[in-house]
This record gives sequence, structure tokens and C-alpha cells, in this order.
Amino acid sequence: MIRQAFAVFSKDLASELRTRYAINALLMFVIVTLAVIMFALAGESMSPGALTGMLWVVMFFASMSGLSRSFVAEEERGTTMTLQLLATPTAVYLGKLIFNLVLVIVLNLFIIALFLLTMDQFVVNQFGLFWLVMLLGSLGIASATTIIAAIIARANTKGTLFPVLSFPVLLPLLMAGINATKIAVEDVRWDAVWPDLQLLGSYIVVITTVSFLLFDFVWKD
Amino acid sequence: MWWKILLFFWIAALSVIGIVTPIAGDLGSVAMFAQMDKAKTVPIKFTIVDKGRAATEEEGGGWLLRGRDVHDREADFHFAAKPDGLDGAEGYLAVARYDNENHRVEVERVSGAYPAFSFPLIPGLEERAKIIFFHVPMAWMTVIAFLVSMWYGIRYLRKKDMDDDFRSAASAGLGLLFCILGTTTGSLWAKFNWGSFWNWDPRETSIFVLLLVYGAYFALRSAVEIEEKKATLSAVYSIIAAATVPFFIFIMPRIMPGLHPGSADDSNSGPVMSSGGMDAAMRVVLYSMLAGYIVLYGWLMSIQMRVHRIKLRRAEAAA
Repeated sequence: MIRQAFAVFSKDLASELRTRYAINALLMFVIVTLAVIMFALAGESMSPGALTGMLWVVMFFASMSGLSRSFVAEEERGTTMTLQLLATPTAVYLGKLIFNLVLVIVLNLFIIALFLLTMDQFVVNQFGLFWLVMLLGSLGIASATTIIAAIIARANTKGTLFPVLSFPVLLPLLMAGINATKIAVEDVRWDAVWPDLQLLGSYIVVITTVSFLLFDFVWKD
Repeated sequence: MWWKILLFFWIAALSVIGIVTPIAGDLGSVAMFAQMDKAKTVPIKFTIVDKGRAATEEEGGGWLLRGRDVHDREADFHFAAKPDGLDGAEGYLAVARYDNENHRVEVERVSGAYPAFSFPLIPGLEERAKIIFFHVPMAWMTVIAFLVSMWYGIRYLRKKDMDDDFRSAASAGLGLLFCILGTTTGSLWAKFNWGSFWNWDPRETSIFVLLLVYGAYFALRSAVEIEEKKATLSAVYSIIAAATVPFFIFIMPRIMPGLHPGSADDSNSGPVMSSGGMDAAMRVVLYSMLAGYIVLYGWLMSIQMRVHRIKLRRAEAAA
């Protein structure tokens, strides 16, 4: 099953690297969004806390525009049936989850790098904690959106419904993530961030478990 | 048939009881009120201990009378002039304020006889406390309807019975209705008690998230055309949402500081959440109202189910 999952993942990665459709569109999306923010804030001085909020807004919408791709593409190319025959649902889910995870980590690294380069006021005080929160946030976003991407793809609605369905499910993650990032940026002691980290961890476990259990129903006709 | 009439009278009577029952304080709550606002007068109920006497010049003139509150604590009740007609009954409801300097109750006027059934005076809430009989059952029904919807979703996934899917959708529809009613009543109330329509208090966040979940659920349902697919996908979505909803409904409002009773920084014991904190009379009315709402919900569910069956039969007859 692990081998099958890995095969699904490498298939997705290969087809992505061949066209670079998702990654190019997403990177451009990030650049455009940041440009809009910078034009809108030209000359304004923003507190690091407010910029943390901005960072999460960009991360949320970038994920929303890109992460439904892996399942929607299968429906568009008409390859869903083949995949249903060749791999077990669990393997498909795991493969897509790993692919989305890689995609979201690359995406968030790019966003954070651009943020640190372009926003002078965005100074991170605790880099260790900051990276940990970003990693947990990426894990959470990937695990919650993968199952919803599958629902979207099966519903044949493409993009518009994706953020609508994802937002209520992602909200605990966003709240804890924004809070923890603020703490990392503004340098409060580690124990202040502990409840948020617990919440992020348990959120990832719960949502991944539920997704694994439910994916069969979404995937099979 | 009889139980529908009974249900109607049950909810109507409880609504009237909830609104009409007077709020009456005791010496403790009136004294607590005086610390917040010296000039404001509030209702207090008391029984008369003696016939009273004329107050001396130093005592400010007028009439002094010994009174006792519901907890058998005694205090002097001061009237501007000798009240007439206070001889007949033993207890009264008065509009008064506590005078912290002279440690006595300044009675503005006697507003009625001693009410046998009254709700306690809660400083900061007063008459506004009565929203609990309407708003709280609505909020509970929102969550109950959501859980029922998820329950039928799970049943659909197990048995693939289209009736279960319809029940799931019908329950979600009623939940959305209660959610909108609860949000509106709460928001209007918040304007008068907390100063603005929306404060992002943790419970307000939680009802907002439920509103979004219901909205997303119906958006998803309307996007899919094939019935079986619609049923499966919406059932799966309601289960995924149910994995995160408890966090908002049950955990966050209790661990975070907020305006609603039962929050982490709630110093006066949270009258809603802990059953020991709320007055017994209010608790009885609240839980009776909740029972009425649950039966009403069941009735509305069965009406929707029957309408659905009739529609199915008509479609079959036409085909």
C-alpha cells in the first residue's frame, strides 16, 4: 500500500513537473497578492502582529487556489476510473495527501521567503518556533483540504466551492496558527504557545483520521 | 392531534411566563447594584417585620420600616412619607435602591404585592436576563439539529437509504432556521447589553462557524445533481465538519475569555453552564422551554418527511 501510495505521488509529481501548471500559477498568484498588499500598504507602517495576519491570509488563499488541483485534474483528464481500478482508495488518498503536503510546503516556503525579503517590519524573534508553527500549519492545511478537494472534484464544481467548504473546517487551525505565529513573532515565552501547539497537533490527527475513514465513500461510485 | 395543541399551549404559556414573571431582587443583589450605579432603582421583594415608625430629622425624615428579604436578611426600608395601604398584606414588591452610607433601602415606590414566583435580579442583566428562555433553546437546537443531521448522514453511508439522506437534509434545514433565529436574537440583545451587535465573543464565533457549515452544506447539495452522489458527498462533509464543530461549541467558549456566561474569566459562576449557578425557577422554565422546542423540532421533521413522501408518490404517479 505504501508502494502504491508512493506511485500515485510520483505520478502526480511527474505530471506536475512536466507542465508546471499548478506551481507556476501558484507562484504567480503569490507574487500578485503580495504586490497588491504592498501597493495597498505603501508608506503605512504595520505592526508585526498585523503582518502575521496578512501572512496567513496569503497562505490561506494560495492554498485555496491550488490544492484542489490534484483531484480536479483527474476528473478533467478522465483518469479517475483508471486510478480507481489500479490503486486502493487508501493509497490514492495517501499519495494525494503527500503531493498536497509537498506542494503546500513549497508554496509556504516561497510566501515566507518573499514576506521576509519585502516586508521590513516583519521581524521574527523566535525562528525555531516560527518554523515549527509553519510546518504544523502546512500539515494541517494539506490534511484538511485533501479530502475536501476530493469532494469538490466528485461534485464537478471546480474551484468556487472549495474555499466555502474549506473555511469552516480550517478555522480552528487558522485561529491557533495565527495565534502561535504572533507569539513567535512578538517573542513571548514558549509556554504561552503550548496550548496552540497542542491544538494544531490534535487537529492534524483528528482531521487525517476522519479523512482516511471517509475517503472510501467519496472515491468509490 | 391533542399533543399538537398541547405543544402550542406549552410553548405559548412558557413564553408568557418567561416574559411576564417579575424580576425581584434580594438585599444582596440590590446592594451589589448600588456599588455599580448609585442612582439606579431596581425591583426588590420583601416581607414586613414591624409596622414601622416615623424617622427622626437626623435619619432624613419620612418613614422607616423593618423588612426581610427572601433569604431572611433584615434591613430598614426608608419611605419618603408614611406609606398608606401597607397594612393589608405582609409582603410587597418595591422599586428601590440601596443606600450604602446609611445601610438602608431607599424605597421609591411600592409597585405591587409580594410575588410568589419571580426571577432573581442579576446585576448587569435585570429584565434582559429573560432572553435566556428564547435564545438559549434556539442555540441548543442549532447544535442538536446539526448532530441529528450528521447521525442520519452516517446512517445513509452505512445503509444507502435515501430516506436517511432526506432526514439529514431536513434536519440541517431546521438547524439553519434555528441558527439564524439564535444569531439574530443574540445579536439584537448584544446591542442593548454589550453595546454592539457583534463582538467576536467565542460563542458568537461558534454560532458563526455553524452558520458557515450549514451554508456550505447546502451550497454543496445544490452543486451536485445526481441524488446518490449528493447524498454521499453531503454526508461526508457533515461528518468532517462535525470533527471540528465540537471544538467551537464545547471547548473554545469555556477556555477562552468572553462575554457569555461560562467563559474562562466568568467570575460569577456562569449561571447558564453550571446548573448550580442558576435560579431554580429560571432553570425550570428554561428546561421546559427546551423540551417544547425539541418536540416542535420533531414535529417539523415529521411534517417535512410526510411532504417528501407525498411528493415522491406524485412523481411516481406522474411517471
